[in-house]
Amino acid sequence: MSGFKLRVDGQPVDVSVVPTVVWLDRARGIARLADGATALIEGSGSDWAVTLRGRRIAVQVLTARELILVEAGGSAAVHGGPLEVKATLPGLIVAVEVAPGDEVEAGTPLITIEAMKMQNEVRAPRPGRVGRIAVEAGQTVATGALLLRLE
Amino acid sequence: MRACRELGIESVAVYSDADRQALHVRAADRAERIGPAPARESYLSVSAVVEAALRSGADAVHPGYGFLSENAAFATAVVDAGLIFVGPPPATLAALGDKLAARRSVAGAGVPIVPGLMVPLTDEELDLDEVGFPALLKAAAGGGGRGMRRVDSSAEVGPALAIARQEAMAAFGDATIYAERLLAPTRHVEVQLLGDRHGGLAALGERDCSVQRRHQKLVEESPSPAVTPEIRAALIDSARRVAATVEFQNAATVEFLLDAQGNHYFLEMNTRLQVEHGVTELVTGLDLVTWQIRITAGQRLPDAYLDAAFSGHAIEVRVYAEDPYDGFRPVAGRVTTWQMPSGPGVRVDAGIEGATDLRTEYDPLLAKLLVHAADRPAAIARLRRALDETLIGGLQTDLGFYRWLVDEPAFSIGDYDTGLVAERWGSGPTITPEEMRAAASAAADARASASARGIATRQPTAGESPWARQARREATER
Repeated sequence: MSGFKLRVDGQPVDVSVVPTVVWLDRARGIARLADGATALIEGSGSDWAVTLRGRRIAVQVLTARELILVEAGGSAAVHGGPLEVKATLPGLIVAVEVAPGDEVEAGTPLITIEAMKMQNEVRAPRPGRVGRIAVEAGQTVATGALLLRLE
Repeated sequence: MRACRELGIESVAVYSDADRQALHVRAADRAERIGPAPARESYLSVSAVVEAALRSGADAVHPGYGFLSENAAFATAVVDAGLIFVGPPPATLAALGDKLAARRSVAGAGVPIVPGLMVPLTDEELDLDEVGFPALLKAAAGGGGRGMRRVDSSAEVGPALAIARQEAMAAFGDATIYAERLLAPTRHVEVQLLGDRHGGLAALGERDCSVQRRHQKLVEESPSPAVTPEIRAALIDSARRVAATVEFQNAATVEFLLDAQGNHYFLEMNTRLQVEHGVTELVTGLDLVTWQIRITAGQRLPDAYLDAAFSGHAIEVRVYAEDPYDGFRPVAGRVTTWQMPSGPGVRVDAGIEGATDLRTEYDPLLAKLLVHAADRPAAIARLRRALDETLIGGLQTDLGFYRWLVDEPAFSIGDYDTGLVAERWGSGPTITPEEMRAAASAAADARASASARGIATRQPTAGESPWARQARREATER
């Protein structure tokens, strides 16, 4: 194989022995798997996504050097370090559920954003303490806007 | 637009700045700009739409099924401007738009309603013991699940009321909230009505819309697997009684809850075309939009329609740009690959045609995928086949959820209710480790091939990475 190291949803996968894949349309990334299922494969560099039966799964295709970087970065994320929580959608901040200094678990609701006529909860991606909160209820935010910082 | 073209009527689309290139604009004979991207200043602006209609020289306005389609003030403005409104009279929209007033008049007509309040909920009167728990707070001006909140105890009523009011105010400009008993388990079943201006009223069977998330529909099918001929007769009788409480003409849907014992309860009547009208078109063979226009022009429904015959089974799934693996959260981004299914018994009503940047201003509905077959098992098999032909790249959609659903036993035997998503959905469909390894290695192959192509355009240099060199070698060996 290509010598790349592969990770699916962050987990290493062994592809030393793999069934054949037939490219139906290489330019568009459409391939047929051995059992007849069609997969859509998109990405560039180390970040790829495989869509199979409507389910989109992140695949990392890493060179040996990138693998070392990812492993270093991955452990930093587990052990903490500041993390900026950003808006994944533009919308109206309806509620801020936490206050600076609050200890939160992964999955704790942080902020509610109303977008596309629905209220969407932004949850903590990992445990931490809430640092500065950059927004307040009633404010409109764009995609990528800083919402708050987790220490 | 397509219905107009078939009837030989010239059509004019309206668009906001976000939709200048949209499919509906190109489908129409002409188009009028009505304002900037935010819906409040364009699609929800009564004056902007009416002015565009007058400017274009149109005779009539078809309000679609979102935005202003059930807005009595809009219908009134259209009529006052000397234009024809394709829909019921404005007074009917006003009467039914107030869900609380509708509850009162429908109960008076002898139709069972969901137990609950007949008057608005006030801050002074938060006691819902009479309604019972769990209860559902609902917006009097509501619809589409907005302004709706579940409460399980007296203590929750106050805070939930505040949120429901906020949502209702934002969505409808009216913060009136009332409460109903939350009946569960129930199915959501609705009857399609078509009425002409001469008293002819056709009941075009039912649609089952029980697969929902956030009180919003994901899947609709007709006929309902839970509806026997006796239940159908009772539903149609109730739907006709509801229609008789107002001056009704054109297309409408009467929504009911159906409990496990087969009892039904009136929810609301929608005086417009529904998103899911295509399901009824498939089983009846009627074009509802064409008939809306014909009815508006004064045409009578043929006698044959008044006792419509049904053929086969139809299912619709709504393809949304949202992530079912993350609480059905709406996703923004760019749709890259867009491959829709085709073949016998498959119909796609899509809002986009190919690679598109998704705007977040409007609903994240990308397409409606409909199938029609001789019976329910055949329709499910056809849906599975159609889903396997469908490829959408660039972002997560809820296709994965539907691919899981077609193999979910509760759905395949038709024994499901509105709790299906909450109770059964985890993640899916199944992807075997072999499939995942094969797909992942294909991604590695794609990266290798991409870097080989990139390098091929340059002269190899001494600093070339051994990985790239190997990748290129492998790519050229193929």
